[in-house]
Parts: sequence; C-alpha cells; structure tokens
Amino acid sequence: MNKWLWLLLIVTCWMAIGVAVFGFREGRGHSSTPLPDRIGRIVSLAPNITEILFAIGLGDEIVGVTLDSDYPSDAAEKPKVGTFWQPDIEAVVAAKPDLVITLGFEQQKNLAERLRRIGYNGLTVNIEKVGDLFAAIEKIGAETNRQRQANELTGRIRAKLQRLATLVDTGDNVRVLWVVQREPLRVAGRGTFVNEMIELAGGENAIGPTVHKYPPIGSEQVLASYTGVIIEPTMGGGDIKGQRDRALQYWSKFKYIPAVASNRVYVIDGDKVSRLGPRLYEGTETIARCLRPEIFKNIKQ
Amino acid sequence: MKQLLTPKKLAIRVGSALLLLAAVMFVCSMIGTETVSLKAVFTGGGTEASINPDYVIFFRIRLPRIILAGLVGAALACAGVVFQVLLRNPLADPYILGISSGAGLGAIIAVISGFNWTLWGRSPIAVFAFSGALGTIWLVWFIGRLTGKFHVTGLLLAGVVVNAFFSALMMFLTSIAKSDQVYATIFWLMGNMKEGDFLVLWIAAGCVVGGIVALFYIGPQLNALSFGADDARSMGVNVAGTRIIAFGIAAGITAVSVSLSGLIGFVGLVVPHGVRLVLGPDHRQLLPLSGIAGAIFLVIADTLARVIVAPAQLPVGVVTAIVGGPLFLILLVKYSRKVNWLK
Repeated sequence: MNKWLWLLLIVTCWMAIGVAVFGFREGRGHSSTPLPDRIGRIVSLAPNITEILFAIGLGDEIVGVTLDSDYPSDAAEKPKVGTFWQPDIEAVVAAKPDLVITLGFEQQKNLAERLRRIGYNGLTVNIEKVGDLFAAIEKIGAETNRQRQANELTGRIRAKLQRLATLVDTGDNVRVLWVVQREPLRVAGRGTFVNEMIELAGGENAIGPTVHKYPPIGSEQVLASYTGVIIEPTMGGGDIKGQRDRALQYWSKFKYIPAVASNRVYVIDGDKVSRLGPRLYEGTETIARCLRPEIFKNIKQ
Repeated sequence: MKQLLTPKKLAIRVGSALLLLAAVMFVCSMIGTETVSLKAVFTGGGTEASINPDYVIFFRIRLPRIILAGLVGAALACAGVVFQVLLRNPLADPYILGISSGAGLGAIIAVISGFNWTLWGRSPIAVFAFSGALGTIWLVWFIGRLTGKFHVTGLLLAGVVVNAFFSALMMFLTSIAKSDQVYATIFWLMGNMKEGDFLVLWIAAGCVVGGIVALFYIGPQLNALSFGADDARSMGVNVAGTRIIAFGIAAGITAVSVSLSGLIGFVGLVVPHGVRLVLGPDHRQLLPLSGIAGAIFLVIADTLARVIVAPAQLPVGVVTAIVGGPLFLILLVKYSRKVNWLK
C-alpha cells in the first residue's frame, strides 16, 4: 500500500506545483496589447474577410490569407497560412502580424484565442447574416483606422441594394427553391443568408421554416413547394454548362412544378453567392436576374 | 527458450526507449512548415512590440504540441493495453466501450450551444468531451454490472449499444446543426492536435504519467487476469479490485486525452499489439513500453500531419490510420507465429 501513497503524494505535489507556477499567469497576457498606431501587417483567415480588407483599401497590408482566398485576384498572390478550417498557426506567427482577423466559427475563434494568449492582436467578427456583414465591415474599419472607407463601402452596398429593391418591387414575390445539393436533395432554409439575398432580390423561399439551416427535403416537399424558379449555385466554380445539363436532367422528373414546366432552372456561378462579403450586391443582382429576367433585359451587368 | 524479465532488463529497455522518445521529440521539434533556427530561438521572446517569431513558434506552439502528442499517445496506448486484457479481446481499444461517442456527443453539444468561454485556453468542447467520456464509461459500467458481476460479454454489449445510441444522437444533432458547426465537429472527431497551455500540459502530464505508473503497479495482477478470472482468482489475485482500478484509470486517462485532442483512432489498438508481438505479453514491460511507443508513434504522426500538406494541416487521426495500418500488418506477419494471442 505504501507505493500507492507515494504515487498519490507525488501526483498531488506535481499538480500543486503546476497550479502555483503556471496558474497565476492566467490573469496575465489577457489584457490585449494596444494596437500600434498604424497597422502594417494583417493576416486574414477567411476569404470574405480578405475581400473586405481589399475593398477598404488594405490590400497592401495583408501579409497572409487562407488558401481559399481567391478574390480579388491579388489575394491569390498573398502568402498562405493554411486553410479556412485548418489554419496553420506557425505560418500565422511567421508572418509577424500586427492584427489577425478571424470569423466567429469554432476553429477560427479558437485560433484567435490561442494567438491572443501568446500576445498577438486578434479580431473576431461574426458574418452570418447580411446585417452582420455591415457591422463587420465597420468593425474592421474602426480597428484599422479605415472608418471612412468602411462607411463608404457599406453606404455604397446599401444604396445599390435599395435601388434594386425599388426595381424588383412588383407586388408579388417569385417563389425560389435554392438547391445546395442534389443527391440527397438539400435546399437553403429560411435561417440562411441566402434566404436574405433571395428576399433582397424580390423573391421568396419556396420552403417554409425548418429546423435545419439547409434542410434535406423529399420529392413530396418539392412538389408541394410549387416553386416558380429553381436556382443551383455551382460548387467550387467551374463548369456551369455541364452542371446545367445535369440539373435539367435531374429536374425533368418533376415536370409538374412551375419552375420545370416553364424551363426556369438556373445554374449560377457559386463564387458570387456562397460567401457573404463586399460582393453582396453583385450576388443579389445575379439572383434578381434569374427571378425577373424581363426587368433586367435592357440593363447591363 | 524463454527468457525471464529481470528488473535490470526492464530498466534497460525502458531507459533506451525513453532516450529514443527524447531523440524523436527533438528531431520533430526541428521539423515544421516554418524553418526555425535554434540560435534565434535562444535569443529570447523579444519585447511586446516586436515578438521574436522563432521563439514563439518553438516554445509556445511547436514544443507544447509535441509534448501534448506524446502524452496523448502514451495514454491511448496504455489504455488500449488495459482494455485488451480486461475484456480479453484483441479488438479492444480505448474507445470500445463508447468513450468516443460519449465524448463526441459532448463535443457537438458544446459546438451547437455556442458557449463562449475558455478554461485555461481550452474551449468548452474539451470540458464537455471530458464529461461526456466519463459519463458514458460510467453508464456502460453500470449497465454491465446489471448484467452480472463484470460479465465481459454484458459489458461489451452495453458498450456497443450505448455507442450506437450516442452515435445516433450525434448524427441527429449534426443534421440539424449549421454547416460551420458540422465542420467544427467533424474535424474534432478526426482528432486534432494543437498547442496546449503550460498549465494544461502540466496537469495532463500528471494525470497520464501517474495513471501509467499506477497501471504498472498492478502489472502482475493484469498478467494473471489475462489467463481468465478463475485462473487469476486461484492465483490469489483480487480480481474485482484489480478490474475496478485498471478500468477506472484506463477510462480516466482516455477521457483526458480525448478532451485534449479529439478522437485519435488506431494508436490504442495498434501500439499495444505491436509491442506485444515484438517483446511479449508481460504487462510489467508491456505497459511502460507501450506508453513510450505510443508517444513516439503519435509525435511522428502529428509531425507528418503538420507538414505533409503544408501550409494546410491534416487531422492527425488520418495519419495514424494510414501509417499505423501497414506498419501493424508488417509486424503481424513477421512476428505472429511467436505469439499466442493474449496468453
């Protein structure tokens, strides 16, 4: 029994030493260091944050982006610090950033927190809804001394959306089924930013409120949705025509729903509508063009 | 020609294995996506205004991560040894009784609920996963007891059913979660290493090393148990007591490692078998050497995960399975004629 007592004693002492030596550091290091007057080196950990930074004139200050930051084309030239889901913390540190901007998702938030503990400045913004986007742009602007540019950017997007709203305001809303995946069939639900874009474009989600954000639905609901338009964004860019052929073939079995009967199945470039960023208006206009081609017949993109 | 395990021989083997572990850890700390110069590292951390990136990468990121990988590898391998002997089942691993799904369920609940606090730099996921793991193992143990006094089949079946039930709950929650939450959970389920806070490392080291030493204490009883409960009893072993201690410690260190790094498969299955195949089934030797071998294995696997698809990172669970599978098959073919399974 003696050896058990010794083990217990040693482990207890070990724990006590650990708490005594490292425990008190907890409070320290959390007071975030004040930002330098001029932020010269920024790491962006999400493609839409990269877009925001470029849009408010901070393109030159970016010293690291994730692999999927491909817009604007200059972003693709920047040094890479891992992927959106699996950022490489060593690469972030090696980029010697003054500021690291992340989204509020678990992996991202977690990385920002870890960097803060080491002594770096992190900024976490949530961009899940259209309202969040405007708030995030202004927050990033405030943190980087670019308030004016940020306010101009949000003002510009808001004005364009307003103009679009008056253009498409015809009293009746087009019903839209937004297909994110065909097998098994999954569509965008009401709680998504895509739903907001559809509404901004003068449409209405053909699917009612659901538990899921992107609910899987059966053929019965497809028929019941009585949708006037089906929109499929491409995944990972690329072959729009090929995907349209496959989409038409798939949807031909639902020939009783209005969208298929009147040949209104659209495949659009997913790049514009899959991230919530400064190109919000362009994405919304693309949707609006699918919903009401007659209005946009004479308007150039 | 059977050689007996003398204390001297054991000490030499454990000592040289520890040296090998230290060497592997040093080499791996030199490998990474960023090149770090040792000279720059030892110039210190720099000031708040200009942080020395070499120092930060080496001491605050890479080294803690390597130590963490070592601890998790050791814990999983030793827990694997114990579950294999307790359940008398060569397929047993630390997750066989549902720890994985319990921890996974805890993790996804933490992700979905979106709590926004940290405990020593660990997210709520770690805390929930730990509680989920321990809660599940207690539930399985409790159900197993109802089927009879530590009836191995009852325990295993209870584990399988609880596992299936919690997996179904996890799938339900995953299906209604937002896509980013789903991704967060999937990456957690594949096992992910990240650097730990010093205090977390220190406490984890205390738990894991203390647990392994305690298991080493009951090595002779475990040897007797591997012949079956009746034989062990006739040899004068306190079967029920040994089982409870071994089971509790193995579940505890597994829960600690799961909360630190998510679900890393394969280490707990392959490493104990590998060591057993090469060096024999004596638990006094099997436990410490499996622990060290598990640490070496996971440190190497994690280093590969860090650099193989740089600048992206792979979940370490992917690497352990890809590297561990073939390695284990080689050992199996080469040594299996020498070994009578679990005897």
